[in-house]
Amino acid sequence: MLAVSAAVKIVDFVKKFGDTVAVDGLNLEIYEGEIFGLLGPNGSGKSTTLLTIATVYKPTSGDIYVFGRSVTREGDEVRKYVGIAFQEPKAMWVDTLYELLLWHARVVGYSSAEAKSAVRDAMERLNLWEHRGKQFYQLSGGTRKKLEIAKVLIQRPRLAIFDEPTAQVDVITKHALWDVIRELRQEGSTVIVATNDMFEAERICERLAIMYRGRLGALGTVRELKDRIPGGDVVEIGYEGSREEVERAVSRLPSVGRYVLEDNRLIAYLNRGEEKAAEIVSLLTSAGVKVKRIMVQEPTLDDVFFYFTGARLREENQDVALNRGATPWAR
Amino acid sequence: MKDFIKACFLVAYRDLRRFWKFKHWLAAQLAMNLADVVIFALVLNNMVNRDYIPDYVKFMSTGVLAIATFASAFSIGREVGGEMRREVHHYLLSLPAPRAALAAGRFIGGALRGLVYQLAFIVLNLLVVGVPGPVQALAIAYTSLLFSLSMSALAIAVVSSTRDFNLQSTFRALIYYTLFFFSNVFYPKELISLRFPGPLAAVVTHAPISRAAEVYRWGFGYYQSLDPMALPEVTLWAIILLAVAALLYTRNLSRQ
Repeated sequence: MLAVSAAVKIVDFVKKFGDTVAVDGLNLEIYEGEIFGLLGPNGSGKSTTLLTIATVYKPTSGDIYVFGRSVTREGDEVRKYVGIAFQEPKAMWVDTLYELLLWHARVVGYSSAEAKSAVRDAMERLNLWEHRGKQFYQLSGGTRKKLEIAKVLIQRPRLAIFDEPTAQVDVITKHALWDVIRELRQEGSTVIVATNDMFEAERICERLAIMYRGRLGALGTVRELKDRIPGGDVVEIGYEGSREEVERAVSRLPSVGRYVLEDNRLIAYLNRGEEKAAEIVSLLTSAGVKVKRIMVQEPTLDDVFFYFTGARLREENQDVALNRGATPWAR
Repeated sequence: MKDFIKACFLVAYRDLRRFWKFKHWLAAQLAMNLADVVIFALVLNNMVNRDYIPDYVKFMSTGVLAIATFASAFSIGREVGGEMRREVHHYLLSLPAPRAALAAGRFIGGALRGLVYQLAFIVLNLLVVGVPGPVQALAIAYTSLLFSLSMSALAIAVVSSTRDFNLQSTFRALIYYTLFFFSNVFYPKELISLRFPGPLAAVVTHAPISRAAEVYRWGFGYYQSLDPMALPEVTLWAIILLAVAALLYTRNLSRQ
């Protein structure tokens, strides 16, 4: 058993299905008590990684440790810590919503009486109570997703995994689910959320990993990832004064990678735009340039995502087309 | 151990509870098995050779008890197959339960279905054939439990070998009909030997359904004596099938 320093420690994890490599040498640590986001395009290996953490799959090589327990050697122990809301809800069509949740509550450790109360609480919380008598096949896609969330809400596991929890759900439900995720974290759970929704990732995740073709593309907080895009922020300053003075002032700032001057506007591309904007304004003012307005725009998580994934798709397309080395991504 | 038993019980309970949801299937199955006795046996009773089968209704009623138990326990395979195709087993595999408890729970769930379903035919046999003594009752219960358990395990193991619906159905049907027809439910060994000289009669005699049917025939008083190898063979079949099925099912479940 490893010393418990991380909720999840993924070590050289490889997962193959026949000849297909789903995850290729993933190394990652997820800290206890954080909401961790797993981003990546379809087929990037997110779900495979989550299902292996939940011991549904076995690693082809490498290992994953959940609170210090190996998924390959201590699966029974790992499962005591983990609860997962699947991307595709898993149930047989003939069972009712209430039966599914009641049985789930019993199997995750509730007594008969406690189970009824916990199930009712979770169902009411997610507006599922009115659907309790419906069989699984009668449920809409959104209600099925809520069923998956309800399972985790009832279980309140030490490690809660959500695989694309808000796909197919309406905005109100989406916010309710985010509250559930935050509540679980508040109560001490570590939460992993796989998502394709950039807004969701930005709203609820403290750290993110971007996966691409089974590999780790990037890892960090949202801020760190945004800062990693060269010249990712845009600072736009409207001014009155000499163009030469502006050019002279800006050239004294090494942090400004690229800039454009047009129609009495300075458009600078740089990192940490919010911090640097004041510096630029100060330099312009001291050079006698009158600053009329300032606008700072940071890259969205979409930009980050495309930078670490879409860019590579373009590179690969060019590799194939031109049979030459990768072309650097440019904003 | 307590957790293991609890998980095992809950998995078994899940499968048993779902059994009632298939009321149309149950009704059809019940009608079919009763029709075997009511129509088939009553008609044939006056046509069969009384030297070999003194009373075909009694002979068939006890045989149908074995067939009904078998069919019902075997039906769990249909659902397990459906769950594998829809990846519902991913959910089961993620639950805080040991793999062995999951397998055992499912086998027991299937077995309980068989035992519950056979109750109607136990009553039929009590009415039509006779009332067993304490030893016979014990033998019937023992046979029912092991036979039902082993057929449930066999069905689960076979169906979990592939996620292809056509293959699942083919495997199930192949095993179902092999066990069904290569049994002495419809004809006693003596008649089979007359029609098929050679090893077939011996194979049929030692098949699991035949052995269960023999215990039932003796238990309800249709036969006066029981082949001393019948109960040990019921036990042996159960041990072999359960061991192989447990191995196959747990391997198939965690193959990925």
